[in-house]
Amino acid sequence: MIRPLSWLLLGLWSLAATAEETLHYPADPEAGTPQQLVIHAALDLPQARPLLEAFHRRHPRLELSYRNLTTLELHQRFLDAPDDADVVLSSAMPWQYHLANDGHALPLESDAARRWPAWAQWRGELFAFTFEPIVMVVHRELIERFGEVRSHGDLLALLDDHAEALAGRIVTYDPVRSGAGYTYAIEESRLSPRYWDLVSALGRARTVLVDTTGEMLEGLEQGRYLLGYNLLGSYVRDAVADKSDLIMVVPDDYALVTQRLAFIPRQAPHPEAGALFMEFLLSEEGQRVIAEQTHLGAMHPTLSGPGTADALREEVGDALRPIAIGPGLLATLDRLKREALLARWRREFQREVPSQR
Amino acid sequence: MKRGDSLYRRLLAWLLIPLLALGGLMVLQAWVDARRTADRAFDRLLEAASLAIAEQVQWQDDRLWLDLPPAALDMLATDADERVFYSLVDREGRFITGNAELPGDERADAEAGDTLLFRDVDWHGMTLRQGVRRSRLEDWRLRERFEVRVAHSREGRDTLTYELLRANLAYILAMALVAIAVLVVAIRSALAPLTRLRRAIRARDPRTLAPLDLPLPRELAELRETLNELLARMRRVRANQERFIGDASHQLRTPLAGLSARAELALRQDDPARWRDALSAMQATSARTARLAMQLLSLTRLDNPEYRPEPAPLDLNDIARQAVRDHWASCHRRGIDLGVECAPHPVRAQGIDWQLQEALSNLIDNACRYGGRHITLRTQARPPLLEVEDDGPGIPESRRLLVLRPFHRGEEGGEGSGLGLAIVDSIARAHGARLELSQGANGHGLVVRLRFSEENP
Repeated sequence: MIRPLSWLLLGLWSLAATAEETLHYPADPEAGTPQQLVIHAALDLPQARPLLEAFHRRHPRLELSYRNLTTLELHQRFLDAPDDADVVLSSAMPWQYHLANDGHALPLESDAARRWPAWAQWRGELFAFTFEPIVMVVHRELIERFGEVRSHGDLLALLDDHAEALAGRIVTYDPVRSGAGYTYAIEESRLSPRYWDLVSALGRARTVLVDTTGEMLEGLEQGRYLLGYNLLGSYVRDAVADKSDLIMVVPDDYALVTQRLAFIPRQAPHPEAGALFMEFLLSEEGQRVIAEQTHLGAMHPTLSGPGTADALREEVGDALRPIAIGPGLLATLDRLKREALLARWRREFQREVPSQR
Repeated sequence: MKRGDSLYRRLLAWLLIPLLALGGLMVLQAWVDARRTADRAFDRLLEAASLAIAEQVQWQDDRLWLDLPPAALDMLATDADERVFYSLVDREGRFITGNAELPGDERADAEAGDTLLFRDVDWHGMTLRQGVRRSRLEDWRLRERFEVRVAHSREGRDTLTYELLRANLAYILAMALVAIAVLVVAIRSALAPLTRLRRAIRARDPRTLAPLDLPLPRELAELRETLNELLARMRRVRANQERFIGDASHQLRTPLAGLSARAELALRQDDPARWRDALSAMQATSARTARLAMQLLSLTRLDNPEYRPEPAPLDLNDIARQAVRDHWASCHRRGIDLGVECAPHPVRAQGIDWQLQEALSNLIDNACRYGGRHITLRTQARPPLLEVEDDGPGIPESRRLLVLRPFHRGEEGGEGSGLGLAIVDSIARAHGARLELSQGANGHGLVVRLRFSEENP
């Protein structure tokens, strides 16, 4: 059974194992019959706050409770009490998909849901509402010494040519310990067999393996690392905004895109309120808040400009590879699959023989 | 006309109900077919996905090992975003990996190669289509058995089923509409001659009894012939009535004209003796006329189809004796011998007392009038009959039928009205008895016999 293992994986997924954080917005008694809305999410408060504020301005009669959890806690909590939350948001796509596939999600019947792009929803139950590319962060020093790195191909060439010079100066997710890193590894290995060349090149360069994007950013800021591979774009944007020596690179050969998935639990205590929030998430208004006040990436089809999927698409063209919301995600959760992939990953990472490239 | 009691409705109901039942069956069949077709098409996905998974099953570290190809799962979800489930189970049915512990399938293995089984299962409140593949590892030595179970929800299948069904339904519906239209037209045209017949009857002059003459299909032609026969009978009845009325008025006019002439003649005279002669002659004539009118009245009453008194059980002996008692005095006066020969036991028959009396008195009267000197009334038990025999001139056989008609007298110039035997005939018919006229026992005279049917107790 996948359960015990998925706890482990989920735990590894977390970007920062913080204490439980909550936000609370009381109902405005003058705005109508008060109603409760409980949101459980794996979305940090700085990103969530503007969204919740905008939503509460629109529906002041709702008493809004927001609880930020790690993806592990969120999943565990949902399985323990599936009738606690009205909306569940998480970036752990396979787990969210797993819950919806098992029939835990309530279909959302609304125009907004019907208009939402088919590739970003599943059966009207599960909706992707953000658009976050997986990026590389390059230190200016690296560019000065070795030239630009714009793609996975560039990176592979760089590692092949300067493995010794870069030894210990590259950082990436450890797929063994990080759920996110493991998910990216599976998706990348599906995209191209050359991924394994890259893994063995990373291995030769004695790449440092860490657990979270935060750790990677910290090392990069301090100058310990010259290049970070596979960082979550939405966090990077914030971090590099005021640091001139760090450059965010969305690879132009392919760039994975991860999306946060939201659903209304079938046993939600206040499904109407949950539906209101979902509709807000999918509305032009809510998406504009995401575009303008967060780094999550808005993906409403009519929105364009900074902070939207549209802008990202213009920047890197058709290199974007959103992780498909489909049964393929279930493979990520398969115990044997994980063992098989990680075994291969380790084998490639520890391979000493130079690649034949 | 009462609702629902119409030929048109009956035909329509009897044809439409089976037709609609048949249509319903066809729809059901179409649905079953569509579902089967959709299942067959989508079961290929289960087959392909289970094969893709089975191919990745290996033996590693002394256990079953699966490097799950995500594409195998993607394959199971079509545009309809089906929910997808899979599991790998070892030889003993132990769960190795998967996202759901799907149930096994009890059915037996195929004879060769992989066993593939498809069926619908209910799983955690969802209706799933499950495919089970039983296979073996194709290792150098090891031939470990394992089972791949895949399942997905039915949305894609249902969509395809409804698409197929919709196409079929349109076809069935069109056929049903055409069939109903044809049926309505056919029934209308089949019933059209009936309307024509009705119109033809309604359009007739109510006084005419001419036969109907219009072309009709066989079944209605029979009805038309029956109607025409009825009309012919009515024509005959009416002709009879007209003749009877003509005869009756003629019969009444003659004595009345005689009375009037006699009175006129007497008035021209002054001699009271002449008046007396005239008055006695007039009295005789008026008595005869009165009797004639009475006979006419009783004949009309007997022939009235609306008047049907209930027959009662009676004894024919009593009737005969009563008749003799009534007529004995008058016969005796005229020197006629009137007698009765009764059966030893009461002769039971169903009849109407006054009618039988009337018949006997007519027969006795006739016998007297036409020269009988001995008149004998006779009854007999088996078969029950009443008989009046006289020794008069009798009636030749050739005229025996004619004398039964009103105003036909046995011999011209007699003083009878010519109604007596006609009345007896009517009474006989009303009693269901046969009236027989025959010669007397010794070659002359007349025997009139009323033979009642045997069933009458």
